[in-house]
Amino acid sequence: MGMQTTTETSPPSQRPRRGGLRRWLRDLQGWVARLFAGESLRGLLLRRLRDGVIVLLLVVTVIFFLAHVVGNPALVFAPVDATDEHIAELHRQFGLDRPVAERYWEYLVGLAQLDFGESTWQQRPAIDAVKEALPSTIYLTVVGLGAAAVLGVVPGIVAGARARKPFDKTSNLLSVAALSVPNFWLGLLLILVLGVQLGWLPTSGRFETASIVMPALTLGIVHGGRIFQLVRSATFEEMSKPYVTVARSKGLTEWNILRRHVVRNTGVTTATIVGWEYVRMWGGAVFAIEYVFAWPGVGLLTIDAAHRQDFFVLQAAVIIAGAFVIFSNLLIDMGYQFIDRRIAAT
Amino acid sequence: MSGMPLLDVDDLQVTFDTASGPVHAVDGVSFTMAPGESLGVVGESGSGKSVTARALLRLFAITDDVRVSGSVHFDGVDLLRVDERRLRKVRGGQIGMIFQDPLTSLNPLMAVGEQIAESLRLHRGMGRAEAASEAVELLARVGIADPEKRATELPSSFSGGMRQRVMISLAIACRPRLLIADEPTTALDVTVQAEILLLLDELRRSEGMALMLITHDFGVVAATCDDVQVMYAGKLVEKASMAHLFDRANHPYTEGLLRLVPRFEDAHTGRLHPIPGQPPITGGGGSSCAFAPRCDHAFDRCHQEIPPEVAVGPEHLSACWLAADRAKDSTEAGRPWRRA
Repeated sequence: MGMQTTTETSPPSQRPRRGGLRRWLRDLQGWVARLFAGESLRGLLLRRLRDGVIVLLLVVTVIFFLAHVVGNPALVFAPVDATDEHIAELHRQFGLDRPVAERYWEYLVGLAQLDFGESTWQQRPAIDAVKEALPSTIYLTVVGLGAAAVLGVVPGIVAGARARKPFDKTSNLLSVAALSVPNFWLGLLLILVLGVQLGWLPTSGRFETASIVMPALTLGIVHGGRIFQLVRSATFEEMSKPYVTVARSKGLTEWNILRRHVVRNTGVTTATIVGWEYVRMWGGAVFAIEYVFAWPGVGLLTIDAAHRQDFFVLQAAVIIAGAFVIFSNLLIDMGYQFIDRRIAAT
Repeated sequence: MSGMPLLDVDDLQVTFDTASGPVHAVDGVSFTMAPGESLGVVGESGSGKSVTARALLRLFAITDDVRVSGSVHFDGVDLLRVDERRLRKVRGGQIGMIFQDPLTSLNPLMAVGEQIAESLRLHRGMGRAEAASEAVELLARVGIADPEKRATELPSSFSGGMRQRVMISLAIACRPRLLIADEPTTALDVTVQAEILLLLDELRRSEGMALMLITHDFGVVAATCDDVQVMYAGKLVEKASMAHLFDRANHPYTEGLLRLVPRFEDAHTGRLHPIPGQPPITGGGGSSCAFAPRCDHAFDRCHQEIPPEVAVGPEHLSACWLAADRAKDSTEAGRPWRRA
């Protein structure tokens, strides 16, 4: 999903008349276009919601079939010495003996009623397991994003304003290193140095306040590197604009030019960059990081559920994470549009 | 010119180190300006006239790899050698500057009144409220209707001409003694152009400012300036009073430029006379006359030695090996460029 919104042009409106399928389709298309097109924020919101639902449906379908075609939870659940009869019994119990299409349909119907199915492993509603893990992940991602913003935004602004000076070159190199390193490797490195050798910080789980430091720092470094790059180039671009030369010709100090003009003007861009980085975090790094640090969040839950072939927990976790990503996207997009339009309107 | 000069530029050299080698944008330019004087600087794109203006205030892009030498004495102080703090006092306070493109010269997200007030608070030590009301006054001075309301608006709600007026009010906000206008009318409609020039001229007279007007258009200079100097490839090739230059342009380059001014009398032929070729992209720094490759009158010496500035009349200098001969010709025949 891109940041730009495309403007759909509604087809010439047609009077509804009796006629063939083609005309009916055209009417429908026109109606849908009128519903979702247009420049109003409400229209945009509706269109984004529609897109979100479609994406979620695709996610559900893919994850359902992947799990159900590849795996067999009965085999994982059963004891090592279980007999064939025992396994067949479990199969029936889990409803795995029925056709996939039937189970898929049943699942969709359940979802429509917000029923995410039962966990085979934990013997309780799958959604409960996700609900339990969700706060941990939100906590980790928010603190991680805070770290990323601190590490990325301020140095990014300074580097962009002092392009090609030593600070820019050094921080640029560091940020490229930070965003090139695999996130799990960085996590392991931190564990090794800060946890094992120096013994300063707890290495896994979420048992004390300090537990958050290392996983959040890892997220902060990896995502901060990207934020740095984007903020730096936005600042540099802004600094190259003629109005900055004018501000300089007025006798403003570089600091005041940066503070009063440049940072103010790149604010919206910076907020968007940070917002997108949050979404990106949910799309990947948080899973690996939770696993590395045994952080009891949705990521760890997903990976565990995959190992145990606990389909309904896996599906619920992926759907909730997906919905979260879509929702965050929506918020950023609406916020951006809102500010942008307000700027354009004045 | 009499008394102590306001601005005394001596042997100004500006060299940009680029990926494809050094570019001598300004190559040994010297001139003076008296208080209240109006000076036009004319030349093609790339002749070094804008860089000269920027060098006076050391206004270069952060990424420019630039070397500047010579001296720029303003009110007795060498601006190339003062520290940043003193230089900032001169910028906007003593020397105001107007730029070519009014569409990009203002911060698009800051109310225009605020952009003017910023200068006032900095240089004239005004408080917030005082600066805001003075900004409104200034907008009124440059002919913006309903200034109270307009001061609160963003640049996007102003037309190009109006934005240039805002720019001018910004540049004169602190009553500078020198106003540098770098192609102030190039991006504007012809009618708006005339209004802006009129405004500049009027402000110069009422405020007693010196005005340095940079342009590629002789028509603009003719309307506004007492003196004019012509630049080519980073060098001054001719300087004279405006009236004198129009009558007795000496340098072949000046002559070529004057031929380029569309003339009413020539309307029936519908033909302009472009100067063939391009100015050198590396600026000056050569060991021959930079204009020689494009000059109809060039002979051997032009390709071997740099011509010195020669006095060809009262306060009229021309850097051409043929300057003396041509000066004699022009007094006999008058306005040689008109014969074309």
